[in-house]
Amino acid sequence: MTSIPDYMTAKHRDCDEVFTLAEASVAKGNWELAAESWQQFKDELLTHFSQEEDTLFPAFEQATGMTGGPTQVMRMEHQQMRSLVTDLEQAMSEQNKDSFLGLSETLMVMMQQHNMKEEMMLYPMMAKNLPQGDEIIASFSA
Amino acid sequence: MKLTGLSFDALPPIDLPFRFFICAPFFMLLCAGVILVSGESLWLSRWQPSMLALIHGFTLGFLTMVMLGALLQLLPVIAGIGIVKPRPVACFSHALLSLGTLSLMAGFMYFDALLIYSAMLLLALALGVYIAALIWVLIKKLSQGDSIWGFRLATFSLLVVTLLGLALLARNLGVEWIPTTKMVTNVHALWGLTGWAGILIIAVSFQVIPMFHVAPAFPLWVRRFLIPAIFIALILSIAFPTLGLAAINGLHAIFALVLLFVIHQRKRKVPDTSIRYWQLGALALLLSSLLFFIPETLWNRYLAVNKTHLLVALFLFFYLMSIIQGMLLKILPFLSYTHLQQRCLINFEAMQYIPNMHEFLNKKHGQWLFYLHIISGLLLIFVLAWPSLYAAFAVSLALESIGLLAIMLKIMSLYFAVNTKISQAAK
Repeated sequence: MTSIPDYMTAKHRDCDEVFTLAEASVAKGNWELAAESWQQFKDELLTHFSQEEDTLFPAFEQATGMTGGPTQVMRMEHQQMRSLVTDLEQAMSEQNKDSFLGLSETLMVMMQQHNMKEEMMLYPMMAKNLPQGDEIIASFSA
Repeated sequence: MKLTGLSFDALPPIDLPFRFFICAPFFMLLCAGVILVSGESLWLSRWQPSMLALIHGFTLGFLTMVMLGALLQLLPVIAGIGIVKPRPVACFSHALLSLGTLSLMAGFMYFDALLIYSAMLLLALALGVYIAALIWVLIKKLSQGDSIWGFRLATFSLLVVTLLGLALLARNLGVEWIPTTKMVTNVHALWGLTGWAGILIIAVSFQVIPMFHVAPAFPLWVRRFLIPAIFIALILSIAFPTLGLAAINGLHAIFALVLLFVIHQRKRKVPDTSIRYWQLGALALLLSSLLFFIPETLWNRYLAVNKTHLLVALFLFFYLMSIIQGMLLKILPFLSYTHLQQRCLINFEAMQYIPNMHEFLNKKHGQWLFYLHIISGLLLIFVLAWPSLYAAFAVSLALESIGLLAIMLKIMSLYFAVNTKISQAAK
């Protein structure tokens, strides 16, 4: 059985790895390789967001009664990241290296400060407040 | 871990950290002025009044100024909540810290009792209010991270440094709260450099380096034991200075090596000036920690530079100031971006106007600042050996501060221009 913090944190790291691969390929001008890693990153990221927004956040909100607090801020930051992902796709399709690297740097910082909040506070709280946490995670990896 | 109060307080208003950041290069410029007008004699002793003005210009006007500004942003991320009532706290502390540091520098330069009294009052209020606000956040059990204890101990160190600083100033004015030995001054300096600034940087590095640069986590034993060990060594150094200092330098050397290793293992290797600042800082820390162990007699036989002066220069200028500048290069464009983007969440159309981080801060400009910082630092080392070179150091430092100021002004003006555009688009 994997806990919420372990599983979700590992997913953050997976996203970082493929993101870094995509970014490095763009920096080298290898757009084909970049597109491959980028697609993988985007799929992982959006799946992760929907696992949180559709399952984990509602369960947490229900268990704690906190609807307007942390999960709301996390949802807003997801929106910010989604919008950066759209901009990055645009830069990718135009093969605009400068724009891509400027945006990727922005997304990286945005993503990491978001991850810190989740990993240090939100996930541990979920683990504490959601007795069914391990089952939820099992359903994700199924 | 309590749930109440956790908010991730999206972001403090941008003008609050900005007001701290923008003052820092002005204090650096003022330091260059102090060096220029004080001439060669400044470098003769650490107890020169103008040397005290210079050191406090760097430590209070630059380092503490930026750190207090950055904490406004870091606390919600690392501790889960920000300072309560950030606007009054930040505005009050910022204004009084700026004025207090100016009075203190002038008070040292002209040895004026009235200026020293006002510096004491202003700094006590500025730091007292900010420390109280920090304690209010940090006593809550919110975060699971390894950094939170570092923040707590750094805040406690700042409190110690402030109280000792006030007592030392009072002693200068004839009020004997503390014994007349250099011991208190040494404790004040050591707790400021190693406790307040040093511990805070170590705590931040545990989070920032692995995450922003996709590097492995710091080893668990480092994350758990390094900061408490440094803190114990700091306490030890009060009664046993030689032993305490040796322990601190040994621990710093370990940290520097682990930091260099973690940075080396990073997977994200796109060119990045911030990481080069971190590497420079780690190398300087390693060097200063190792040089510490050269016995004084051997040192004096072969080296023309005063040992303490060189170690402090390496630690303060090449370690602390490098890392603070490197972090500024990340924080300034990121804050600008994220504030503008949040405004656009209700008006997605306006998103197109927002520049990305590299458009806020041209990477080349960051690199130039990095090279200027290295040149200034090397000149500082030269001045310690040949004080007659002081003017070259002053000019280089002035150029560095102007460079940093120009970078900040460009980011801030772009921020305000785009902000206006977004408001117009909303109409």
